[in-house]
Amino acid sequence: MNGEGSIRVVVVGAGMVGIRFAEEVARADRAGRFEVLVLGEEEYEPYNRILLTELVAGRAELASLALARPAGATVRLGARVERIDREARAVCVDDEPVPYDHLVLATGARGRVLRVPGLDAGPDEPLPGGVFVLRSVDDARGISAAALNSRRAVVVGGGPLGVEAACGLRLRGVDVDVVSFAGHLLDRDLDPEPGRLLAEAVSDLGIAFHGDAALAALTHDDRHVRGVVLDDGRTLAADLVVLACGAVPETALATAAGLEVAHGVVVGDDLATTRDPAIHAIGDCAQTPSGVAGLVAPGWEQARALARRLVDGEAADPVAVVLDGAAMRLKAAGVSLVAAGRKASTAGGARVLTMSDPYARRYVEVVVDGDALVGMTCLGAPELASSLSVQLGRPSVVPLDPLQLLAPSAGQGDTAAGSPTTMPGGTTVCRCNGVTKRDLVAAWDGGACSVDALATTTRATTGCGGCTSLVRGIADWLQVSDADADASQSRSATREPVVKGA
Amino acid sequence: MTDTHCPYCALQCAMRLAAGVDGVLAASPRDFPTNRGGICQKGWTSADLLRAPDRITAPLRRTTDGRYEEVTWDAALDEIASRVTALQTAHGRDAVAVFGGGGLTNEKAYALGKFARTVLRTRFIDYNGRFCMASAAAAGNRAFGVDRGLPFPLTDLAGAEAVLLLGSNLADTMPPAVQHLGGVREHGGLVVVDPRRSATARLADDGAGEHLALVPGTDLVLLLGLTHVVLAEGLADTAYLEERTHGLDDVRRSVAAWWPERVASVTGIDEGTLRRVARRLAAAAPCHGGAGAYVLTGRGAEQHVDGTDTVTAAINLALCLGLPGGAGSGYGCVTGQGNGQGGREHGQKADQLPGYRMIDDPAAREHVARVWGVDPDSLPGKGVPAVELLRRLGADDGPKALFVHGANLVVSAPDAGVVTERLRGLDLLVVCDFFPSETALLADFVLPTTQWAEEEGTMTSLEGRVLRRRAALAPPPGVRSELEILAGLGERLGSPVALPTDPRTVFDELRRASAGGRADYAGISYDRLDAGEELYWPCPAEDHPGTPRLFADAFATPDGRARMVAVTPVGPDDDLRRDAPVYLVTGRVLPHYQSGAQTRRVARLHDAAPAAYVELHPQLAARLGIEGVEDVRVSSSRGSMVAQARISADIRPDTVFAPFHFAGLARVNSVTNAATDPISGMPEFKVCAVTVEVAR
Repeated sequence: MNGEGSIRVVVVGAGMVGIRFAEEVARADRAGRFEVLVLGEEEYEPYNRILLTELVAGRAELASLALARPAGATVRLGARVERIDREARAVCVDDEPVPYDHLVLATGARGRVLRVPGLDAGPDEPLPGGVFVLRSVDDARGISAAALNSRRAVVVGGGPLGVEAACGLRLRGVDVDVVSFAGHLLDRDLDPEPGRLLAEAVSDLGIAFHGDAALAALTHDDRHVRGVVLDDGRTLAADLVVLACGAVPETALATAAGLEVAHGVVVGDDLATTRDPAIHAIGDCAQTPSGVAGLVAPGWEQARALARRLVDGEAADPVAVVLDGAAMRLKAAGVSLVAAGRKASTAGGARVLTMSDPYARRYVEVVVDGDALVGMTCLGAPELASSLSVQLGRPSVVPLDPLQLLAPSAGQGDTAAGSPTTMPGGTTVCRCNGVTKRDLVAAWDGGACSVDALATTTRATTGCGGCTSLVRGIADWLQVSDADADASQSRSATREPVVKGA
Repeated sequence: MTDTHCPYCALQCAMRLAAGVDGVLAASPRDFPTNRGGICQKGWTSADLLRAPDRITAPLRRTTDGRYEEVTWDAALDEIASRVTALQTAHGRDAVAVFGGGGLTNEKAYALGKFARTVLRTRFIDYNGRFCMASAAAAGNRAFGVDRGLPFPLTDLAGAEAVLLLGSNLADTMPPAVQHLGGVREHGGLVVVDPRRSATARLADDGAGEHLALVPGTDLVLLLGLTHVVLAEGLADTAYLEERTHGLDDVRRSVAAWWPERVASVTGIDEGTLRRVARRLAAAAPCHGGAGAYVLTGRGAEQHVDGTDTVTAAINLALCLGLPGGAGSGYGCVTGQGNGQGGREHGQKADQLPGYRMIDDPAAREHVARVWGVDPDSLPGKGVPAVELLRRLGADDGPKALFVHGANLVVSAPDAGVVTERLRGLDLLVVCDFFPSETALLADFVLPTTQWAEEEGTMTSLEGRVLRRRAALAPPPGVRSELEILAGLGERLGSPVALPTDPRTVFDELRRASAGGRADYAGISYDRLDAGEELYWPCPAEDHPGTPRLFADAFATPDGRARMVAVTPVGPDDDLRRDAPVYLVTGRVLPHYQSGAQTRRVARLHDAAPAAYVELHPQLAARLGIEGVEDVRVSSSRGSMVAQARISADIRPDTVFAPFHFAGLARVNSVTNAATDPISGMPEFKVCAVTVEVAR
């Protein structure tokens, strides 16, 4: 604690998790004891990284990505942290020490660059022209600009980022090949059958998928990419390559500071680093006992948990990082896919119901455990996907026959009406005044033999007037049936179906 | 023959009261812009209220054995005054509180506020409008600097190409209003947001628009998502935002975190629908050459712990599209109670003086005190909003006595079981009513009052137009108007402040009190109204034509710009969990109004909807083993209700609905949550977590 009595928290990284953490501290810190400083390396205002593929697709304006600066915290942009001085409890920015009581690493991850021939320059060397990862606004802007002059693009990686980038580029009119070493698209999120259907769905958009294929080399001339070579010897021409083949936790600062680093910065369930309890790590850079987040939702959960722990000393439950079955909602123009929770291959003993409709590139799968929906996969069924996703993990939502989960259920009541002739007598014709068809028939029989007379007698049509045409139709039908009746038999016989033997 | 307006909702349908061939007074519709010659069954049967058999015609005093005896007015008022004096002497002025209603005329609402501030000199006054209008009012004031439900005539809706209607079931609550949606339905542009496929949602069928059956309590998230799409896709009216608003940058950043797929996972409305609706609204907006678009909210979106912020989000969306003040466009709130608009302008609210003046503003106190002939320093300060007021009843630091005017708290308050106990625990409860309502039946004194067709006055409808209510017949002997009752009490309490009993005189005083305020009635007179002038406030002078449309040139903020405020969803206070896995939403049925104290007494309306019910989806019914019309019990951590099951696929499988017009075991407000919005004080009627089971 410093002289003024406030507790200084320095956050390295102004990404979605770092910003969220600062917000959560402000929310929890009612006494105003904490002073939070967020250091962002990029010059841009904090932004929503999840929407970068929307920029690539041209579906979002750059300004719409900017996130709110966290209330009650200071944000410094363009502030690159050079090192951590654990002894002095300070980080060094532009050769100036910035002291902390708690340091939170939210440095995120960088796009993985496969070191194959053609991409074998050092990690600090620029990538060849036309080759991009997709982690930052600069990457997305570079890809968008390159797409203007590109005819063929190759996306390396068949995960959500790869598919979204491919669909986005396709929307810009670029022909796209997707290359993945996995056998099907989104292999972490989907079983082979829906993965295959997804490939067909993107193929309909003009995107070719090459599975079971690894990138062997990248060819370029004048430092601009010309194509890729796959491990089976095939070559694909390309003037734009997007590397969407995973992310590497950004751990350089932690390593240099002597903290324990494996795949990411190693932290315990309390999100504190193993060698320095004053330093924490959250989000994509952190390796918790259950893994690395990789998605924003668990990162946000960690932000919240750590904020509460620092402010309230609350020993919250460990935030589990779900590696398999984390909710995945594809943001790809032209394809709707949501997968979350368990799937057929990981269902264990749970009940799996599947609807496969290859013709329509549609696949729906629900996994039910007792009275809870514990997994869902919805391809090409966006409305069902959204109605199922709000039920996922909630107690007591599963119908007695879970098959009903596969059919839309909300707001699907019958439409009343029918023709004036066939509608049952008890049907309400005028809601405003509670008038049924039977009331109208009775009024007609009582001598109210016009629309105006029916309105005066029953008050039908005198509210919102929405039933006027229906009342007119009933009057017309009564007129005709009366004429028939006059010609033959009694009135009621022509209007009511004769029930034999009744 | 008397031309007046319907006693019930804020649409204030014009009607004529005349004796029929049988000599009995009956109501029939008149042609008028809001109802265009239509009225619903509530209006048609309204004259039956005048003949209800259990009308109270003498003051009633509760006896020690819990029954009621008729007493003279003098006896009743003398005893009430002496008990009030004793309580205030012992515990201070705030020992007596007043609870008003949004159905009172402007004159009565004004007089009630004046009575509280000058005779009782208590800071504790609030009203049932806190249950319905407070969040929209707070958001309107915050954004526009003024709160008029519809800042445009209702008839303007006819020209719109898109209308986004959130949480309003006007096809049931004010059926003739549906006529104004005819135009937008022709365009296929009616978008109804409601967890239920209500009668209003059905208006979007057959190509007239679409119905979004979202998860209860997620309107705010939906609005953030729509705003996200408008900004992300470059559909916003940038020139308008630049010239007429502040705060866009904050709002833009706040919605950046609500991308369509995330919104879908919270609301249950898929991203394709979200984008389609956003684009439809944008295409109808003036900036894209459309004929006009409206965003309208009702109680379904407003009665939440983040209700003010939900309305703010609706306003932000409208501002992004350049709607408020734009041609044939706007944001509006669909007011519910008959005088829900006027009732919130003239001093019934805990923090307000007449003319929508704030009670903590020295200039406002000075002005009103001068009109009332009192020392500004004698006026009490800010009180507390309704739910908080009810919570304090009988507490050590709370009121010991309560006057209730035009409200039926036992049925209408959230967590009504607790409220009932608090009312029972008071030292003195005085209820003014014409019928023995559930609340009147707890009172120490029931004072019988005139009802709509027995009195003169004014009402301000949902569009801010001031209307004349006229007497068609004399009140029954023994009944007094509230103006007379307040004057009688004032006299007995030794107040030197004049409390006139003639409505016209009161209105003229109200005009002076409101002059220069946000809701300025100075130029509106009975003579002008009786001459047929269409007067919308503000109307600052007798030669002023009134203001049918606000915001054409500027907003009522100091710099004339609308203020956009970034908001964040908080979510239901009482959310689903394993032991409460179903949402409860409440609402209205067409034949009834409010707590049903009036409409349940009209035979034809009673026959049309004789009892409460619990609407539930076939899937939920099957899981609970409900096959048809069994009674079901709906329970929350606060209490339970029992009513017949009604199985319908019109509702989400995770939600049940019950109407709130019924009392006793069927009282749904035994179950609802009294958690309130921190800004408006409005309770979260519209969503809580419950269990549903077969009642045995």
